[in-house]
Amino acid sequence: MNKVLAVILGLLATPALAAEGERIIVTGEIIDTWCYYSGVMGGPDSVVGSAHHTCALWCSASGIPIGLLAEDGTVYTILKLGPQDNATGGDTALTLASHTITADGMSYSRDGINYIVVEKVVEDMGIVNLTHEDYDVIPPFAIPEPKE
Amino acid sequence: MIRPIVLIMTFLALPACAEPPLPFDVGGTFALTDQNGHPRTQMDPDGLPQLLFFGYANCPGICTAALPLMGDIANKLAQTDIAIRPIMITVDPKRDTVENMAKPLAEHHSEFIGLTGDQTALSTAYRAFSIDHTLAYEDPEYGPVYTHGSMIYLMDAKGEVLTLIPPVMDAETATNIALRYLAPKT
Repeated sequence: MNKVLAVILGLLATPALAAEGERIIVTGEIIDTWCYYSGVMGGPDSVVGSAHHTCALWCSASGIPIGLLAEDGTVYTILKLGPQDNATGGDTALTLASHTITADGMSYSRDGINYIVVEKVVEDMGIVNLTHEDYDVIPPFAIPEPKE
Repeated sequence: MIRPIVLIMTFLALPACAEPPLPFDVGGTFALTDQNGHPRTQMDPDGLPQLLFFGYANCPGICTAALPLMGDIANKLAQTDIAIRPIMITVDPKRDTVENMAKPLAEHHSEFIGLTGDQTALSTAYRAFSIDHTLAYEDPEYGPVYTHGSMIYLMDAKGEVLTLIPPVMDAETATNIALRYLAPKT
């Protein structure tokens, strides 16, 4: 019974909602959250970094939310990225896809999801996660064949 | 021991009104036209909650995962006797017109509403939801591709945003989020 109670209390402790934001400075990689969460293109190690850069661009352009995968493994869904409001598909998101950055912004937790409103990209380290060395291009069809 | 568990489970079943306000400033008024040529605002005329996304009905090559997910959420909520209206506001009124939105949207859900309007009316909606509407790139095969929304907005019947649903989760998880806000009081 105690186990059941512990599980229930664990559910209650899940950050369902937190109305107040928290100012954070966090370092991590800009990722494509669809491929990261769905697993349809491969495991989480293969859908980040340089191997997944092209696919990340396509997903961003098609409206998939981008995320910030922090060094501690936390994924923040990005609501705003510096000057860009909806933080996907536009110049800022496409430029920073797969880049490791240090972001200064407000973090919120709601419905068990972590969000971040990035006020400023403090540092852009470029693409430093060179996963293509292990995985080549993930998925291989991300780079379209030129038309004859 | 049973009694505390019952109390805790009752708390877990607490409805939407227990949820604090959305901490993000998003949402607002708009006045657009649906795929049947009827005017529509942020308020649902039938008093239904709404799922809103900014994108394409006729997608240019790459199609969003949001519209099928919205259809799935609506179907799953219907199993719990909760009706919800899935709505898409176009980011490309040249591609999505009153005449051609109905068919592709109906493939996702029979009650899907597609909205368009003139540039002024659409810009009002984009601003309300902070949609950064710019040209992403020109696809040589499909034409212009615009940046669009990346979130599904769960709104009440008045058009107030209750929460966000990132379209990267499975339908069951997304439906459970919606139920936190829509489930009837017990």
